[in-house]
Formats: sequence, structure tokens, C-alpha cells
Amino acid sequence: MSTATAAPQQVETTDRSGLGTTLGLVGGALLLVSGLLSWSFEPVFGDISVRFWPVTLQIFAMLIGAATLVIALSRSVLRKPLGWLNAGPGLLATGIGATIFAALSLAAITQQTGGLINANEGVWVALVGGLITAAGGWLGRHVVSEREAFHVKAPSTVEIAIIVIVCALALAVAAYALGREDAWVFVLFLLTMGVIATGLAKAGFFSYLGAAAQRHQHVLTLGAFAAAFLFPFTQDGSEINMSIATGVLIFAATAIGLNIVVGLAGLLDLGYIAFLGAGAYVGAILSGSVSSSIGWTPPFLVTALIGGIFAAILGLIVGSPTLRVSGDYLAIVTLAFGEIFRLSMFNLDGNNGPDLTNGPNGVTNIPDLNLFGFDFGTTHVIAGIPLSRAANYYLFMLLLTALIVLIFARLNNSRIGRGWVAIREDERAAEAMGVNTFGLKLLAFAGGAFLAGIAGTVKAHYDTSVTPDQYQFLESAFLLAAVVLGGMGTIAGVVLGAVILKLMPEKLRFFNEYRLLLFGLLLVLMMRFRPEGLVANKRRQLEFHEDDEELADEIGEWKAVKEEDAP
Amino acid sequence: MDLFLQQLVNGLTIGSLYALIAVGYTVVYGIVQLINFAHGEIFMIGAFGALSTYLILFQGQTALWILPIMIIGAMICSVGVAVLTERVAYRPLRGAPRLAPLITAIGISVFLQEFVRLFYDKIPGVDFPSAKQKIPFPQVDLVTGEALEIFGVTIQRAAVFTIGSLVLCGIALWFFISKTRTGRGMQAVSQDPDTARLMGINVDRTIVIAFAIGASLAAIAGVAQGLLNTNINFKMGFIAGLKAFTAAVLGGIGNVWGAIVGGLVLGIVETLVTQYTTLLPFGLDQFGGSSWKDVWAFALLILILVFRPQGLLGARVVDRA
Repeated sequence: MSTATAAPQQVETTDRSGLGTTLGLVGGALLLVSGLLSWSFEPVFGDISVRFWPVTLQIFAMLIGAATLVIALSRSVLRKPLGWLNAGPGLLATGIGATIFAALSLAAITQQTGGLINANEGVWVALVGGLITAAGGWLGRHVVSEREAFHVKAPSTVEIAIIVIVCALALAVAAYALGREDAWVFVLFLLTMGVIATGLAKAGFFSYLGAAAQRHQHVLTLGAFAAAFLFPFTQDGSEINMSIATGVLIFAATAIGLNIVVGLAGLLDLGYIAFLGAGAYVGAILSGSVSSSIGWTPPFLVTALIGGIFAAILGLIVGSPTLRVSGDYLAIVTLAFGEIFRLSMFNLDGNNGPDLTNGPNGVTNIPDLNLFGFDFGTTHVIAGIPLSRAANYYLFMLLLTALIVLIFARLNNSRIGRGWVAIREDERAAEAMGVNTFGLKLLAFAGGAFLAGIAGTVKAHYDTSVTPDQYQFLESAFLLAAVVLGGMGTIAGVVLGAVILKLMPEKLRFFNEYRLLLFGLLLVLMMRFRPEGLVANKRRQLEFHEDDEELADEIGEWKAVKEEDAP
Repeated sequence: MDLFLQQLVNGLTIGSLYALIAVGYTVVYGIVQLINFAHGEIFMIGAFGALSTYLILFQGQTALWILPIMIIGAMICSVGVAVLTERVAYRPLRGAPRLAPLITAIGISVFLQEFVRLFYDKIPGVDFPSAKQKIPFPQVDLVTGEALEIFGVTIQRAAVFTIGSLVLCGIALWFFISKTRTGRGMQAVSQDPDTARLMGINVDRTIVIAFAIGASLAAIAGVAQGLLNTNINFKMGFIAGLKAFTAAVLGGIGNVWGAIVGGLVLGIVETLVTQYTTLLPFGLDQFGGSSWKDVWAFALLILILVFRPQGLLGARVVDRA
């Protein structure tokens, strides 16, 4: 332990906090029991009217109840292994979450069966359980553990096991969520996961997990990729789910490329989709499609390379004004570039200019990829599990994403990455310290564009057609939103942001019409209340909360822990 | 020659429109250093405000006297929305890193567009048309109708209205900024907000006024656009806003006269480029015609930002940060 560790905080053991934990126990038990009761008179949502046979909503309530009980018991029975959890704040979060969950379940049952009258005792018990838990959490909200979560250490094997279990759980959650056909069940399941995650986060579990992951970073990365790799095998050849997942991956890969430019180098790019588009057009035109204007069809790996290089050259062109402009002006330059790209692709149809892109109709009928005799267009059966066309592309994109993540991570911790961060923090100071600001900025633009270009060539084959309206400003805004929403400069955050922004509209059909409206609102609210993103880079978080001394101390301790663990 | 004059008039018309919107960008930028991305949508809301006023009060009428009332209706809507967004979204972010308000502005822009698209026909009380397609804009005596013919040049009546509005607004703006107490306060705040605050100027109020001025001019531009184009739609704000921003940068952002000059120059360059690209060398003549005019405008924007970031009239060295 470093000497920086402050004297342990006094544990509050007043009657009120004891009462709070007891209420948490009662609430958690009620939630568990509610799952065994009947929720509705009508057999909806997989028949939630049956007692002692929990399905969908009932299982969700039991999951929240179990999490609540674990947090509450960390004060008594589980004190030995889990005493470092902050029970009070955790219970408050799960309690409020459970209340919202029960209320939404009531709304769902009302809407589905035609009246509140159809709600049965179980959902009411869940509501009461949520309220009691919230009350308990409120009473014990000042109860914090004497040990800071990130100082807790377990044996390596246990920590690795925990990381692997978390990855496996994430895989199971993703597979289950994608399998839900009913929009209500999907939303309530996500809410359940959100409630449990928030509860654990408030209790300090993720703080611990973060420190553990820091100690076993390779295990976490490998675990995450293993989970992502196994994902197609959980879908049993379902084309729809796999195509959604592939779309998410393409989007995420592009967003990580953008994250280099925005998150690391701090250069705001509002025309990034043009690089994906440039790659896609190169991929389409060199694919041998009937509507492409050039007769040459090189092997795909050559096409991908050309697409990447072409996009990188465009990146250099867009990046070159950065010598003279930055900040808001740069945002406008990139925005103008994006519009120029789209309008050019729209007009290069032989009528208004040279014939290259087939204008507004775009390049269509792009054949499927065929790499080393592996045809991406057909279903392959591996170990008895069929892998559909979308799954083939998914696995290929996963490889590409892994490569991009690897590049991102290596760059981030290299001399170049530190140069970028220096430019982001203070360009003039960086220049004065001998950082080659112009070269690094160009590298950020060209590098990000190169990655997006390669992703674009795959996207062209996967979509089988490329049209200019796929690459409009709004798509750039979506990419930027994924980066900002998830947390700038982090990989996990950007992937999370991409998943949220791509998965939601695909799964929620009723949500589709209001998608953009909510997107706009979300951007505004995020900037207002959590500008650092969902998964915050600790340093960046401090930028947005300058006055927060507690946070500054916490980050200081983080660093101390990290340095201590460094070999 | 006639053709040249004709294009010049067309350019002046479209340029006046850009100038009216550009002033809003420039006034706000001059004071809070914020690119109010949602300003194009304020312009669009102005057009819808005028249309709503017409549909509520004067359905079917064409008398000239209803035009001022439509403009007032447009202004109320635009100013209301602009001041509300300032209060709700921008003010809490003052002092935050620059990225935050810019992204907020993009969010507001998308939100306002979608709000109009989804809910315009659902506003209770009046039977508004759906905004999902183009909506015809009301016709008013004297301002729409048969085009004028002067020296062989056809001039739309709405074009006269647009250019006239710019002249009147320019004079009013000059008077406001240089002669009134509030206007001089605005100048002071744009120079140095902290010192201005020490001198007893209410900075918050000044910022609201800047937003309101920009929104009023955008509202007039919205009405002019409706009269010129005879129809309006929920998407009209985006490209117009982008062009107006180009105009503001062209003239030197933060400079009101620069915005007006920039708007006019951009409009004229755009129409002349459309007409005369066939004369360009090196095979560039293929990229002529109206379908390429936006590309030329944006290319111009990039070139100006790179080679003369302070713009045409911007004298002070802009701190490019």
C-alpha cells in the first residue's frame, strides 16, 4: 500500500444505517419472491401469469433482487469477501432502478392487456420491494466502506476468473437481448441490466473491476474478443441478428478510427463519414460490379489497401489546413469537406461531370467477398452451427476491429499518442516542448482515414450497394455522437456508444420514427449532465469537473496504485 | 451583358438571404465565441412561424398588410426558440471546453428539424399541413406574382423584398449597434466580457439580445425564402445555415458588416460560377452547372479558412483556438 492512502474513513454504524441494510434485505427478498408470483391475468410476455415458473419480467425482477441481496449482505454475512462494497449508495441505485422497473412493467402489462386491472400481485410486490430497497438505500446512503475499492486485491487466479466471468456474462446478455422479439421485454431487459450495473457501479464494484483489469489487461482484452468471437455461435444462424451485429461492428470500427482524431488528438472532425464513403466507393468500383465504371478487379486485399490509401490521401488533404486552422474552424472545414464528398459522388454520373460513381443511383450488385476460396456469400457449418452470410462478415469485421483496437491501444501508449494528447491539452505548449504538431495532426487524420477506408471497402461488399445518401452529414454526427456518448479517448466507451446508437434503432421499431428526435435530445442532455461520456477517461473527466476535489484525489490515488503495480 | 446583369441580380438576391442569416452567426460568435449550429433551424422555424400565423389568422387572404403581421409571427417563433435554447442548452455550458457547446448545437439542430417534421401537423387547435413534405408558402399581393422587367433583366418581386429587407435591417442594425446604449454594451462585451461585466454591463442579458437579434433577422430571411421559393420544408435550414456560416467566415466572423458583405459576395460568386464555369481551363469546365454550385461554395470556404482565416473584413488577428 502506498503511503498516499489516507486514514481509513470511519464506518458509520448508527442505527439508521443498520436499518437501511435491513430494509435492503427485505426489499431484495421481496423482489426475489415477486418473481415466483403471478404478474398478470393475461398470458403475455412469455406467460407471466403462471406462479412458481418465472419467465421474462419475473426473471428480471429476481435478478435485480439477487443483486440487491448481495449488496445488502455485504454488510453482514458476506462481509469477509465483499466488505469493501459501498452498500448504501448501491442499494439506493438498485432500489430506484427496481421501482422504475416495476412501474414500467405495470405500464407494459397495462398496454399489452388493455388495462391496469390485469396486473396481478407479483408486480405490486416488486414495486413495494423496489420502494423499500430505495428507502433503505436512502437511509444508508452515507455508509461507505472503510476500504477503497481499488485498493482491494484478491489472488490473481480469482481476479482472472472474475474478468472471464464478466466477459462471459456480457456475451450471454448480448445474445439474450438480441434474441428478444418483443420490444417491451427488450427494453425491460436492458433496464434490468442497467439497474444492476448502476447498483454495482455505485457500490464500487466497477472501481474494483477497473483496478483488477488494469492488473490483468491482456486477460480482459482476450476475454472480450473471445466473447465477441463466440457471439455468432450463440445465434444459431439467425441472419437478422447477425446483420445487426455486423452493422454495429462496422460502425464501431469507424468510430474507433474517429476516436484517434477526436479523442486523442482533439481535432474535431464533422465529415468523417466521407472516409468510410471513400473506402466504400473504391471497394465498389473495383469489385467487378456490373455498374462500376472501371473494368479492373484486383483481389480484395489489394482493393482494401487501395481504399485505405485513397481515404488516407483524402485525410491528408483535409488535414493540411490544420496547419492554419483549428478548433471550431477545423470542424467547419471538415464539415464542408464531407459535403463536398457527398455532392461529388452524387454528381459524378456522366451527366453533370465525369462518369465514375453512377450518381444518385450508386454502384449496385456488388458481389460477395471471396478470400482464399472462402465464399462470404454462402452459409458455412462449423461444429454443427451454421454461420450465415452476415456471420461471415461479422467475423471478418471482428478481425479488422481487433486490428484497429490494437493499433489504437499501441498508439495511445506510444510517443505518438502522448504527442497527440499533448496537442489536445495545449497545442502551443506542446509545440514549445518540441512536439511536431503539424506532422502528428496529419498522421492522426491520415491514420484515422486509413482505418475508415478499409472498413468502407468491407461495408461496400456487405451492403452490396453504395449510394451517396449513405454518407451524409447526419452519419458523421452519429459517429461523433458514438465517440462522445461512450467517452472520448477510450475504446470500451466508443464500442458501447456504437452499440447503443446502432442497436437501439434496429431493435425498437416503434422507436424508429422518433430516433433522430431522441438522438438530438440525447446529445444535448449528455453535454449538459455528463460531458465526459459513459465510460469516462479519468483525466478527461477532471477537465469537465474542475472544482471536484474528491475526483481529483481519487485520480491521484488511481495513479499511485497504478505506479505501484507497474513492474 | 444582359445575362451577366441577370446573374448579378440573382446573386444579390440569394446573397441577401445568406447575409440576413449570417448576421445571426456573427453576432453570437462575436460575443460568446460559439458557432450556433442550430441557427439554420432558427431560420427554418421563422418560415414555419410566418406560415402558421397566416394559417391561423388570414387563411385565403392575399392583401399586402398581412405580410408585416406574418413577419412579426415569424420573429416571435424564431426569437422564442433561440432565447429558449440559449437559456436551456448554451448558458449552462459557458466555460465548458469548446467541444461541448458545439455538440449541443448539433443536437439542437437535429432536434428542431425532427420536432417540426414530426409534430407540426399535430399542433392542436389549427389544421396545419404535415411538414413531412414541402408546404406551399402563402402568396401576398405586390410581393409575389408577375416578375418585374427592368432593362431586359427579370427581377422577381420577392427578390426586391429580400434585398430591401437586407438594406432596412442593415440600417436598423447600424443604428442599434453604434447609437444605442445596449448596442455599445454589445460591442464592449464582444471585446472583453470580463471587463465589460466590471463596467456594469449585464453580460447575460447582452448575450440573450445577441441571440434575439440574430433570430429576428433569420426570421425575416425565412419569410423571404418562403416568398422566393414559394414553398418551405423542414430541411431548408441545414444547407442555408451552412452557407450563411460560410458567408460569415468569408466576411470575417464576429464582424457584422463582414457578414453582410460576405453574404453578398458568396451569393454572387455562386451564381456566376454556375454560369461561367464553362470558361475554366484544365478540364474544370466539366464541373459547372447548378448541381456543382454547393461544391464551389464549400471549396471557397475551405480556401478562405486556410489562406485568410480572418476573412475579408476581419482586421484583427483571430486567435485560432
